[in-house]
Amino acid sequence: MSQFTFGRRQVLGLWAALMASAAMPGIAWAAQGGRLLVASDSEPRSLNPAIVASNGVFFIASKVIEPLAEAAYDGLRPLLATGWEGSEDGLSVTFHLREGVSFHDGKPLTSADVAFSAMKVWRALQNIGREVLANLQDVETPDPLTAVFRFSKPMPLQLIENALPVISAVLPRHVYEVEDIAGVTALVGTGPFTFAEHRPGEYYLLKRNPSYWDAGKPLLDEIIYRVLPDRAAAASSLEAGEVQLACFSAVPLTDLARIAKVPGLEVVTKGYEALTYQLVVEINHRNEHLAKLPVRQAIAHAIDKEFVTRTIFQGYATAATGPVPATATQFYSPDVETYAFDPEAANRLLDEAGYARGADGTRFTLRLLPAPYFTETVQFGDYLRQALAAVGIDARIVANDSAAHQKAVYTDHDFDLAVAPPVFRGDPAISTTILVRSGISAGVGFSNQGGFVDEGLDQIIDEALVTLDPAARVALYNQFQRRVTEELPLINVADWTFTSVAATSLTNIANNPRWAVSGWADTELDG
Amino acid sequence: MLRRFLQRPEGVAGLVLLAALVLAALAAPLLFPGDPKAITGAPMIPPFSDAAFPLGTDRLGRDLLAGLFHGARTSLLVGGAAALVAITGGMLVGTAAGFAGGLIDEALMRVVDAFQIVPGFLLALAFVSVTGPTLTAVVIAIALAAWTAPARLARAEVLRLRRAEFVAAARTMGEHPWRIAFRDILPLALPPVLALAAVIVANAVLTESALSFLGLGDPNAVTWGGMIAEGRNQIRSAAYLSVIPGLALVTTVISIYLCADALAEAMSGSRR
Repeated sequence: MSQFTFGRRQVLGLWAALMASAAMPGIAWAAQGGRLLVASDSEPRSLNPAIVASNGVFFIASKVIEPLAEAAYDGLRPLLATGWEGSEDGLSVTFHLREGVSFHDGKPLTSADVAFSAMKVWRALQNIGREVLANLQDVETPDPLTAVFRFSKPMPLQLIENALPVISAVLPRHVYEVEDIAGVTALVGTGPFTFAEHRPGEYYLLKRNPSYWDAGKPLLDEIIYRVLPDRAAAASSLEAGEVQLACFSAVPLTDLARIAKVPGLEVVTKGYEALTYQLVVEINHRNEHLAKLPVRQAIAHAIDKEFVTRTIFQGYATAATGPVPATATQFYSPDVETYAFDPEAANRLLDEAGYARGADGTRFTLRLLPAPYFTETVQFGDYLRQALAAVGIDARIVANDSAAHQKAVYTDHDFDLAVAPPVFRGDPAISTTILVRSGISAGVGFSNQGGFVDEGLDQIIDEALVTLDPAARVALYNQFQRRVTEELPLINVADWTFTSVAATSLTNIANNPRWAVSGWADTELDG
Repeated sequence: MLRRFLQRPEGVAGLVLLAALVLAALAAPLLFPGDPKAITGAPMIPPFSDAAFPLGTDRLGRDLLAGLFHGARTSLLVGGAAALVAITGGMLVGTAAGFAGGLIDEALMRVVDAFQIVPGFLLALAFVSVTGPTLTAVVIAIALAAWTAPARLARAEVLRLRRAEFVAAARTMGEHPWRIAFRDILPLALPPVLALAAVIVANAVLTESALSFLGLGDPNAVTWGGMIAEGRNQIRSAAYLSVIPGLALVTTVISIYLCADALAEAMSGSRR
């Protein structure tokens, strides 16, 4: 995630190196085989990564359907596109596609497939593509290996590059060009593995793609995702050797210390850097108390971030300073307003704002809705209730299931405070600015539904969207971070990524910042 | 009857346990004032290692003993309230059905059938999911699942009693039928239904815990089911977090059943 400046020359060089390695004696690669058993905690209803760009879907589908490029620790690794360049005016981006790539049904990959995927799927149907590619007007295909994206407004190449690993899963046009694209259940792509079988409640089976474009890969014969929704079950299955890998913190944090000591297993904390989750207190600014900045500042002072990271996250998280996590080195700025844990300052701010404690020590009552998605969000809800009680705010917890929580917060605005775990997706423009930008219609999930309006902040967000120069863009997002921490439309508490537990016989894991949701072509199982 | 009850060892054991639980529930706010969910110590102190926290603390540093005492309050409160609502509702419906007979009886009994067809726990689950988890909702949900047994029993008793001579006498005196049903007959139909009460309370305590375990209990109250659910993730490294509230739950249910057993025996004995 350091810099994403990929010149065509470098890309070609890399491509040449790749070709050379593939051309070397195939014997070295021949130690193939093995069946990798992976614990899977959910069974997504749709597995199409071009439509549902979420980690749960990518976890399985990214092995079958590939994006144009995937994330690497030093920028981007080209997959289906070998190179790309943007025009001076920012109105077009040209992608050069890899030669000799074919889909699992034998048909070759061409620019028509990319054009179809971009216009009909990413831009029209995909949760993230709809936002990022909103200004995409047309995709031209001058030849089978070139696709030119045309935008109606200047589009920063930096944003496109940061979004590529997430939004650009390429579908074969000849399979998906039907009336109801989302209704196609077949999973056909160019990836290292083919989709073989799904037994609901039991497993997903992926098989080696023998004609994968990267000759000699993949190194595994099969991947089986065993559906194990119970977190305790994932840990015991690992210990029993029934699965060799559990990703996305399937093993509870409290069990990690114990499981790290089990021979043959290791705890891996790398490989999720670009999948940072943020623990956020969402604020409903329609509430007369919360509309006052001193009240929000008091709440920020009442939260002991250190306690949260140490106790709730068992040390597997870092205290957040603002809306961009420190793992996003490209954009992160430490030059922001900070709020130290200081209940006295919080009490003073509330006193000065005119909220005296009542006879029972309470100043006012709020409804607190912790998102039910993670144990940690629910626990943080319990903690926040106690932390606020210490400064005289009675936050009553309202528990909901996922659907009811989303309706209450993002459609009905029936909350005062909510705990949310938004994801930082590599670029603030993808899913972060939407959390604080004003004028977002009700019902849009994971967006500013607290009714916060700040013209200055909106201006920065809008300007950054059309700023082409990477340095100027970064400077704008530094301003953005400062303004958010000053105005507190929401309170960032902690940033966390996931952990994996893997058998030590598994090699070449966690070798990119989105490893769990990458293709696993080079992952190998010894013995 | 009381003497018969006290002659049975299981009755005495049950009564002692239950009395201890009620005492714990009543004493909870005195022994552990303030919010039992307050973070008072270091997280994950194991039991019997720190005098300030005899049963240790959970992941956030909340006192387990305080949770246990306040949890007894919630469990017994919900159990008692649910049983009260279920028996009152069941008695009213059963008496009305049995006394009125005919179409009203048919209609009311079909409603009872409809409720009995649906597994009680599913009904409670559905109700709480729709209304949102609050203590009142949980009480109503449990009562919804439990009112049919008292209704059937009450109806059977009323059917037996309504041919009694005192009823005929009341009729000839021109008493209003509803007055006869609810003033004269209902009190006489009460004792056998009350014998059901203990079973209903025990079931209600279990249902409440199961709902809390699934995350559908009142999140602002301490419940044993909720404590077990929270401890579940740490079951391999800190089993005490689940085991201790689990033992409390088992003790409560067993003591209520023991009492119910002894009570039923004592009553049937006294009748004979």
